Amino acid sequence: MAVLQLRSALTPEERQLRQKLILRDSLALLSLFAIVIVLFFITLALFHSFSVHRQELAQRWLRRGENALHAGQPLVAIDALRSALAYAPDDENMQIELAEALAAAGRTEEAVAYFNTLLDARPGNGMINLQLARLAEKQGDEAEALDHYQAALDGTWEGDGYIRRREVRLELAQYLIDRKHYDRARNQLLIAAGNAPDDINIEMQVAGLLESAQDPANALHLYKKALQHRPVRLMALQGAARTAYALNRFLEAKEYLERALNHADFEKEPAEVQAQFRNMLSDADHILLLYPGPELNVRARAERILGNKKIAQERLAACLSTKSVVPPALQNLADRWQQLPARVRLLQLEQDPELEQTIVQLVYQTEQVTSQQCGSPTGDDALLLKIAQAPEAVEQQ
Amino acid sequence: MSVQPMQETVARISKRTPQRLLTQAELEKIAPTRDERLFLVLSIFIGVLSGLLVVSFRIAIEWIKILTLGSAPHAGQFRLLLVPAVAGLFVAALVQLFFPGARGSGVNQTKAALYIYNGYISFKTVIGKFVTAALAIGCGHSLGPEDPSLQIGAGVASMVARRLNLSRQRLRLFAPIGAAAGLAAAFNAPIAAILFVIEEVIGQWSAAVLGSIVLSAISSVVVARWFWGSEPIFRIPPVTLRDPRELIAYAVLGVIGGFAALVFSKSLGYLRPRLRALPHWTHYCQSGIAGLLVGLIGFFGFPQVMGPGYEVMDQAMHGQFAWKLLLALALFKILATTLSFSSGTPGGMFAPTLFIGAMLGASVGSFEKLFFPHLAGTVGAYALVGMGVLFAGFLRAPLTSVFMVLEVSGNYSIILPVILANMIAYLMSRALQPVPIFEVFTHQDGLELPSMEEAREESELHLEDALHPVDVPVINGHQTIAEAAHSVSTAQASVFLVSLWDGSWYSMTVHDLTSASATSTPDTPIERVLPAERVPILFPDMPLDSALHYFPRWPVLPILNRAIKGKLEGIVTQDDVLHRYQEH
Repeated sequence: MAVLQLRSALTPEERQLRQKLILRDSLALLSLFAIVIVLFFITLALFHSFSVHRQELAQRWLRRGENALHAGQPLVAIDALRSALAYAPDDENMQIELAEALAAAGRTEEAVAYFNTLLDARPGNGMINLQLARLAEKQGDEAEALDHYQAALDGTWEGDGYIRRREVRLELAQYLIDRKHYDRARNQLLIAAGNAPDDINIEMQVAGLLESAQDPANALHLYKKALQHRPVRLMALQGAARTAYALNRFLEAKEYLERALNHADFEKEPAEVQAQFRNMLSDADHILLLYPGPELNVRARAERILGNKKIAQERLAACLSTKSVVPPALQNLADRWQQLPARVRLLQLEQDPELEQTIVQLVYQTEQVTSQQCGSPTGDDALLLKIAQAPEAVEQQ
Repeated sequence: MSVQPMQETVARISKRTPQRLLTQAELEKIAPTRDERLFLVLSIFIGVLSGLLVVSFRIAIEWIKILTLGSAPHAGQFRLLLVPAVAGLFVAALVQLFFPGARGSGVNQTKAALYIYNGYISFKTVIGKFVTAALAIGCGHSLGPEDPSLQIGAGVASMVARRLNLSRQRLRLFAPIGAAAGLAAAFNAPIAAILFVIEEVIGQWSAAVLGSIVLSAISSVVVARWFWGSEPIFRIPPVTLRDPRELIAYAVLGVIGGFAALVFSKSLGYLRPRLRALPHWTHYCQSGIAGLLVGLIGFFGFPQVMGPGYEVMDQAMHGQFAWKLLLALALFKILATTLSFSSGTPGGMFAPTLFIGAMLGASVGSFEKLFFPHLAGTVGAYALVGMGVLFAGFLRAPLTSVFMVLEVSGNYSIILPVILANMIAYLMSRALQPVPIFEVFTHQDGLELPSMEEAREESELHLEDALHPVDVPVINGHQTIAEAAHSVSTAQASVFLVSLWDGSWYSMTVHDLTSASATSTPDTPIERVLPAERVPILFPDMPLDSALHYFPRWPVLPILNRAIKGKLEGIVTQDDVLHRYQEH
């Protein structure tokens, strides 16, 4: 009612004033709108130029950081990457590179803190877990390192996840070998070998690690696989020879050693490596000459057994002469030798396979017991000891 | 702070407007709802304009920083010494000669505009604030852009409102509206901005202005986000409370934050008035010297403390620093900000406060992660809570501090640590530094602005606080005049209440009764002699002052029950109300 009264009370002049007021307000609002539009475009232009410049700066500092990192200047890289991140804070790769630079600069504490924060944001990230595992390794925290390695294996990887997981597994295996956890290392390596493609480099790498993990059998298997690739690599021959030798498979080792020594690249190897392989070949040859293998004819076998008997008895006698009090093991051995006929003839041995077997066993036991009681043997005794460790493997192929 | 007399201001406005402006009385008559309608529309315009200006302001700061300090300032660069010193001299000259209103942070200036100058902030001050603050912050002074943004927003609002010749009351309200818009765009967090303006500028919730503040803040944030994206000013990592035992660490953070806030406040409270008291000519070089000292901190190993430091907060939040470095950064930031701010260099306190809090929080988080890895959550969570802690402890805006953290993190799972740590810091700060920092500055500037902390805590009186049991006769409307006269004379009362059939009441004096009995017979029901008007309907929960203007007409007012129509809760008299106010 009051409003109606007011409206009706407006004079023509006041109505005119009101119309002018409405017009003025409309114009004011329109001009405000125009100002907003103009200001918007000015701000947009400023913002666009600023954004472009920020991107350029981010890339410039990233390049500097990467170059410094590759040049082994992690401190310079840290500054550069931090600058880059200031202009592109969401770039994940840049963040990881910065953390890597921190770790490379020995600022482990900062690097761990940074990687942990990155991990909080991306809990399943394989790369971050791997970096944290490496840092934990550096800090000597084995449990933490193993947890992060496992998380890296189970984690997500961009694009080449299959390859990266294998690399992580091999790195983990190496870490386990360094910590002398050979069984766990072997498990990881066998998984890696099982999933690996038919690639000589991978086979060689895994075989090498298996060797380090004291698993020459599986290592030999992989070296043999690697030898199927052409051209044959000297490294593969050397590895196969080494592992066959370690497995006491001297016949097989001899074959690989001969091939290795005849390989075109062998002469390029350092002198000590060459000498090592030549010695191995020489030892293998001698072992095969000492070994009374089942393939030999009866005479030759008996001759070798008699020869080995002589060597073993001399070794026992020498060992006994060093002892003022004879240990029971040596005494037992001596007693067993005493129970044998004083003189064994070649013909007697040819006709008595049981005696032959007893002497062979006694020779091997003599070499083993004397090596425990009187130290490592040399010469033929050393070779006989190698045979004694796995006589059935000597001519195994 | 520059104080310009109101008369001068009004004279200046009238000189600039050749066209005759309608008086408020004329406007009231010809367009009574104009102000109300324009108010909401203008709130949106103010929000958009403030948003655009704040975006430009931040870009200006970044450009200046890149052009003067380089794209990656680091320790050992001589420009770190030179640039802030030269910029300080230049900015001081600008402030002293051309833009005296641009001095300081901007929060108290906005409050002064609201409470003293009827919402007036000059265009010159807005331009001056934009230019001088951008130069100072961009060149490495340890100050932030939020408070200047708040003042720029308030200035824009003031200009817009003046152009439309709005009433003085409306004009005054536009300052906080613009302030909220400016702060919201700077923070990219509208709720925190709204709460801050309510806590620190207006001091109390007011329905009249809340809607417009929300509109302008949202508008400005929409604009800011169009440019910067929806992320807050720094990237927030995932924040979680991993283990309830972590609350102990957050409590420790609250204590550390409380002490840091105290050190920061005391430093500013000590240095600022001493520098202001120096001869006037020194004001031309104080900013330059402060710049040189801040540059020295940067030159000798801590360039992170220069400028607002958002990217450093971001890095701290993402665990890029070790806890010792974080602690050192917090301490040097306190020193650098004290120097920059006390010298009168235009720039704000928000960013440094957040910086210090983030560094302290990240430091506590990193320490815990290092020594108790199974307990600690993310470092980012600690940094975030640290920001809130300093905000609560130093700026003394507890509600804003909590909501700011929740808003920027977008994660309510962190509410418990936030409330715990903030409350500890706030209570410590209150106990050790009774006067909030903004009030300290106000007093140093010779102004008497209302204390927002007191205003927030002021309890409003209600009618229930003054009412007393009915001690006057109560007559039913159908009783006769004779019966009423008998009751009144028996009780020897001068006033009595009449209860009417429809649940309404009438408060009648003996004089009214005498007049009625002169014109009516004694057996006339009393309701027949009552005029049409009734006493106002008042309830116990209504503000005490709502009764005041009825007393000249009604000496006794009945207070009714809201649940049972017509039921009396008690009565109030003018003496009751005044007595209650005197007691309060």
